[in-house]
Amino acid sequence: MKSQVVIQKKICMLGGFSVGKTSLVKRFVTGQFSEKYHTTIGVKIDQKSQCVDGTEMLLVLWDVYGEDDFQKVRASYLQGSAGYLLVVDGTRKETVEVARRLHALAVQSMGPVPYALVINKRDLRESLQVDPEMYEDLASNACLVLQSSAKTGEGVELAFAELAKHLLKV
Amino acid sequence: MAIPPRPSPNPSSLSVKESKGFSHLRQLLLAPEQTELERLKNRLDHYILEPQDVSRVLPDAIRLRAKQDSRLLSSMIPITQEALSLSIKQSPQLISDSIAPILGPAIRKAIARAMRGMVQSLNQTLEYSMSWRGLQWRWEAIRTGKSFAEVVLLHTLRFRVEQVFLIHRKTGLLLNHVVAEGVSGQGEEVISGMLTAIQDFVRDSFGQKQDDGLESLRIGDLTVWIEQGSGAILAGVIRGAPPMELREVFQETLETIHAQFSELLQSFQGNATAFEETRLPLEDCLQAQFEKKSKGLPLAFWIVLGLLILGLGIWAFQARSDQQRWAQLLERIGQEPGLVVTSVQEEGPQTIFYGLRDPLATNPVQILSDFGYSSEQVIFRLEPFMDLTQEFMHKRAMIQLPPPSSVEFDWEGTTLVLKGEAPHSWVQKAQLLGPLLPGVTHIETGQLDDTDVKQFETLKDKLESKTIAFGVGESSISQNQRSALKDISQTIQALDQTAIVLGISPRIHIQGYTSPDGGKELNENLSVRRAKAVLNELAKGQYQASRGMAEGMGPEALLALSSSDKAVSQGRHVAFRVVLAQSNLIKSHR
Repeated sequence: MKSQVVIQKKICMLGGFSVGKTSLVKRFVTGQFSEKYHTTIGVKIDQKSQCVDGTEMLLVLWDVYGEDDFQKVRASYLQGSAGYLLVVDGTRKETVEVARRLHALAVQSMGPVPYALVINKRDLRESLQVDPEMYEDLASNACLVLQSSAKTGEGVELAFAELAKHLLKV
Repeated sequence: MAIPPRPSPNPSSLSVKESKGFSHLRQLLLAPEQTELERLKNRLDHYILEPQDVSRVLPDAIRLRAKQDSRLLSSMIPITQEALSLSIKQSPQLISDSIAPILGPAIRKAIARAMRGMVQSLNQTLEYSMSWRGLQWRWEAIRTGKSFAEVVLLHTLRFRVEQVFLIHRKTGLLLNHVVAEGVSGQGEEVISGMLTAIQDFVRDSFGQKQDDGLESLRIGDLTVWIEQGSGAILAGVIRGAPPMELREVFQETLETIHAQFSELLQSFQGNATAFEETRLPLEDCLQAQFEKKSKGLPLAFWIVLGLLILGLGIWAFQARSDQQRWAQLLERIGQEPGLVVTSVQEEGPQTIFYGLRDPLATNPVQILSDFGYSSEQVIFRLEPFMDLTQEFMHKRAMIQLPPPSSVEFDWEGTTLVLKGEAPHSWVQKAQLLGPLLPGVTHIETGQLDDTDVKQFETLKDKLESKTIAFGVGESSISQNQRSALKDISQTIQALDQTAIVLGISPRIHIQGYTSPDGGKELNENLSVRRAKAVLNELAKGQYQASRGMAEGMGPEALLALSSSDKAVSQGRHVAFRVVLAQSNLIKSHR
């Protein structure tokens, strides 16, 4: 029997193909990073306990496969999400557009729920292509916008922690 | 059309008169509104929140705030916890009374379930631990490093529900999860999410309706059965081949949960605490069924079994009759007078009785043959002892004091009562030895007659009743009286013999008498002469004169006589008196 109240929340990782969703989850859950690339097929689910303002939270992370021209994200995976991380690859500006489409899909299927906009791969400074103006519309409603790097771990904890904090307020 | 801006009144440009007029006009036009405005301003400036006002809106306010987010709930948690803690401290009985009706049945059910599981597992382990199959499995357990119970379970299990998940349908979050004993569940939240994701994937891929869903998954020996509900999904992980009835159990459980928790399922926001109450119904789904013993058995088995039962029957009958025979022997020996068994020991094929035996008791070896046992099978090691029961005192008395047939032994407690008649020698022996018999405290001879004493008395009486008559003035014995004297002589002989038996020496006083006629001196001499004449006459026979005494009694004792004989009645006679020197002795014999 659970002695303490644990609030479970479903969080979806949304973003284009190869933006680093799985790496962000892995960095957050296990604290590790791997250069080796794996394509996510379907959904991979992970969990992480997080204490937010004295409340024990269990974040159930749905790492949904990255959307590309061949594979559209299914709305059914998003159902019941308390919030989501919208991930953009800072080195590929086309991923902003994918994020925009996914955001629209998310709003359509689950309504306005909190989300964090994460511009990933900040460690590849030389190759950065995405400017804040490009995602201004997405940032305006996000509860948090930050630059992150799954490789260095920069911003990863913060992104999840802040989103969790917002989910608790809702 | 553009409206030209209205010139704003400039107070400095207005004259005082105009100002007064404006004020007046304003008062005329806006007086009621002005008063109302001032009243409202006053109320707002001095607003005090009345409890009545709050009480009117409080329930709705709480409801609305709770719908909005969980902050109200979070703020109430510490207060509620503190209040509850204080309440328990102050009146524990109240809390105890309130939760007892809920906890009692739940605890009973949980205990019953645990006991059922334990008994089932024990039964199985016992059942298979000694069989050939059991030995094979034991070897398998050693080989594979699994526990014996686990190997038995795997071989005998038809099916077992190992885990049950209750999943919130919309979010895929885990509401509750139960596992069977000995099964370790891990990552159940992730499994819950994946099951939902798989469901979504399958449903989307095959274009099925929202209500349709994946019903079953199979991975090796494991089957996952999924039951869909409007608010929740129940997934059972089953090892083995489950029967269809189990689906009904799952469905009923899910329906019950829906009926009970429908509102909570609707409003679920990630806090599954309330669903802890579904544990009992979910645990009811943790069912298991084990292999039943096969019903059909080969004929040879029945024949062997029949022969075995027959053999056992015969053996049991013999054993039973042997047992009975032995029990009867034990009972008999236990009841046998004069035998006391203190212990019975088995030494190899022999049984040895240890104890005590009165030498007068029956030899127990004789009893053995009555029950078909030999003295080689049963040995008695008995120490001699004296049995002081009446039976054995009697037996002992009969041996130590063999009585003549005219004597009876009777008992009053430890007093031996002698009845009847016996010769003097036996009476003496009885009086001497009787009190020395073990257990005998007294000898009672009040009812025992001494035949020798009796005969002595008879002879004495006979002798003393005899007289020898004499003629007037005579002291010689007439011819007639001589024959009477012969008879007297025989009586004296018999008396002497009896006296010898009794060990006494009586003296016979021969008393001469005269008639009163004549002078005293003459009469005295005559009486002496008469007595001596009789003594001399007796001494001619076998009678020793020294043992008799001739006494002249003269005429004085005449009055004592009364006889039909004229000579005697007139006093002219000789009489006999037997005098005992030890008369006491004879008395005590009576």
